[in-house]
Amino acid sequence: MSTVLAIDTSTSRTSVALIAGDKVLFNEFHEDPLAHGEVLPLLVEKALKLNVGVDLIAVGMGPGPFTGLRVGIAFAQSLALGMNVKWHGVCSLDAMAFNLAQQKDNKDFIVSTDARRKERFWARYENGERVNQPQVGKPAEIERFGVKVFNEGDYYPDPISMAKIALSNSSIDQPIYVRKPDAYPLPENVKFREFTGLDLVTAVAMEKAVYGKAGWTAGQFKEEFAKAPKNAYYIAAESNGELIGYAGIYFLSEFADIHTITVAVDHRRKGIGREFLKRLINWARVKKAEAIMLEVRVGNEEALPLYIESGFTEISRRQNYYGPGLTAIIMRKEL
Amino acid sequence: MQPLVLGIETSCDETAVGIVHGRKLLANVISSSVDLHARFGGVVPEIASRAHLEAIQQVIAQALKEANVRLSDIDALAVTAGPGLIGALLVGVSSASGLALGLNKPLYGVNHLSAHIAVDALDNDEKIQPSIALLVSGGHTSILQVNNLASDVVVKGATIDDAAGEAFDKIARIMGLGFPGGPVIDQAAKSGNQDAINFPRGLTHANDLVTHQYDFSFSGLKTAVSRYLQQTPNYKKADVAASFQEAVVDVLLQKSIAACKESGIENLVIAGGVAANSRLRELAQERCTKTKIRLRIPPALLCTDNGAMVAALGSLAISEAVAPSKTGISADSAAQITQLIW
Ligand SMILES: [Zn+2]
Repeated sequence: MSTVLAIDTSTSRTSVALIAGDKVLFNEFHEDPLAHGEVLPLLVEKALKLNVGVDLIAVGMGPGPFTGLRVGIAFAQSLALGMNVKWHGVCSLDAMAFNLAQQKDNKDFIVSTDARRKERFWARYENGERVNQPQVGKPAEIERFGVKVFNEGDYYPDPISMAKIALSNSSIDQPIYVRKPDAYPLPENVKFREFTGLDLVTAVAMEKAVYGKAGWTAGQFKEEFAKAPKNAYYIAAESNGELIGYAGIYFLSEFADIHTITVAVDHRRKGIGREFLKRLINWARVKKAEAIMLEVRVGNEEALPLYIESGFTEISRRQNYYGPGLTAIIMRKEL
Repeated sequence: MQPLVLGIETSCDETAVGIVHGRKLLANVISSSVDLHARFGGVVPEIASRAHLEAIQQVIAQALKEANVRLSDIDALAVTAGPGLIGALLVGVSSASGLALGLNKPLYGVNHLSAHIAVDALDNDEKIQPSIALLVSGGHTSILQVNNLASDVVVKGATIDDAAGEAFDKIARIMGLGFPGGPVIDQAAKSGNQDAINFPRGLTHANDLVTHQYDFSFSGLKTAVSRYLQQTPNYKKADVAASFQEAVVDVLLQKSIAACKESGIENLVIAGGVAANSRLRELAQERCTKTKIRLRIPPALLCTDNGAMVAALGSLAISEAVAPSKTGISADSAAQITQLIW
């Protein structure tokens, strides 16, 4: 029977528990989003005074506000080193969902914690299993699923569940950072510049690769691109001289319409789309547009969170917009 | 018995661990995230904190290996508790707290600034207290009277605007020399003429000295350099770098030596990242020899942020019988130099 010391600092709460089998030997928490650093050693010292020996240290790896999260992880790793025992990382949202999933009426639900800046960390669970990577987003993004949401405040990552998870699942070794730091550097070799006629050939090939038959032809590109610079703005990203993405926006009287944000498959998840969106929004602001609109395919789980996070909200849907069965969500952001 | 102390430093962009045995340096391992910050021209706190957590366990392991000691042999832990970037400090403090509890050994939270001075005691048997200390780094520029580094430090003067290191960073950025500014300007200045341009020495006029005898100001110098660059299209980078550096170094030494003379203290310690500057070291030696002041400057490698300096101050605290810190120390990003041990 293993004795597990469990630590979580992924929410406003600092939790410490000591569990031996089914026996809870110690279980205390302290509520203060700014005091993880001071409170955690005190709680752990108290637990260790029970002198029962520890076989494993379980620690919540987030997601959670960065500073508090890192306090828990840095502390747990060094404590394990000092005590000469192993440490085991657990997804904090899983530790919050564990008990909820045991209840009969919770077949499909979301747990969510405060991510500050009016955003939430969240993950969805079906039949006791997490069905997506932990995410960060606006409350609207969570509510769109229409399933029960359990929030921090009523529920917390439970250290007792954490001990159980640590004994049965494999360890998560890295902190779960779902939000990019504000100033996280773009890949060093990526450059942004104006889109030119010379990019057309590559862009059309990329359209085909990314969107298949729905991709733009050279003719469609030329037509849109010809409106620049007065009523359209097209930018390109290149890496080592090679085109890896482009984005375009169109503006007439009061409204701007984002035509495309396309990033080559190999270069996704590096913040390039985010940078494109930022630049397009800036251009629309300079043009004094009242609002920006865009269409996004239902199920595009990479782009949708970015748009919601950037302040776009769904205004309507168009069936078969991208081809049979492919629905577009029309989104709008007020400027 | 000399204590074996492991020191952790994470106040800025270096994740560093040092191990000392009394005053003997056994290991000094540094992992820097400076490359990640270079493209921003300054340290990005979130990136620094992230990098600390990624590096710290490896750096501890490497330091133990270098010192050839077992973790269980360590007698005490020391950690920088401030000043510095709060998120960065917390990674080190939490790591040190976990280690101290896990090993059941005392922990000393120490001041980063006094640790810069304490590092001079390593591998050095000379008694250097009391001394005047010139502390010059990216965040701090001050003149201190050090009666006892673990218990009694008096601030005689400090910068009223930018730190000397900051001035180096800003000028390097304006001139497109890169980041961090200290080493790149030092390098560029080597082929330049330090007398080419007469840049201003802040707070050295007679009436400034009445109220700011040991204070510094570098903002006027910064303005003068950028104005010069704008007005002189064909300026020589090396000459500008050398003349700017000379202006900084000259005023730092003028005031430090004056502080020694006035207080009758014949020891001058120069510490902090800027103490690695080759011109500062050279001119300090020249002027101290002339004025018969005993000069101490730690080896350049120990001037920039490192863990050995933290361990050195921890070791000093033990030898001075200072009580260890209580469990659950808080990091203080704005700690004053006078708060020596937590
Ligand atoms: Zn420093």
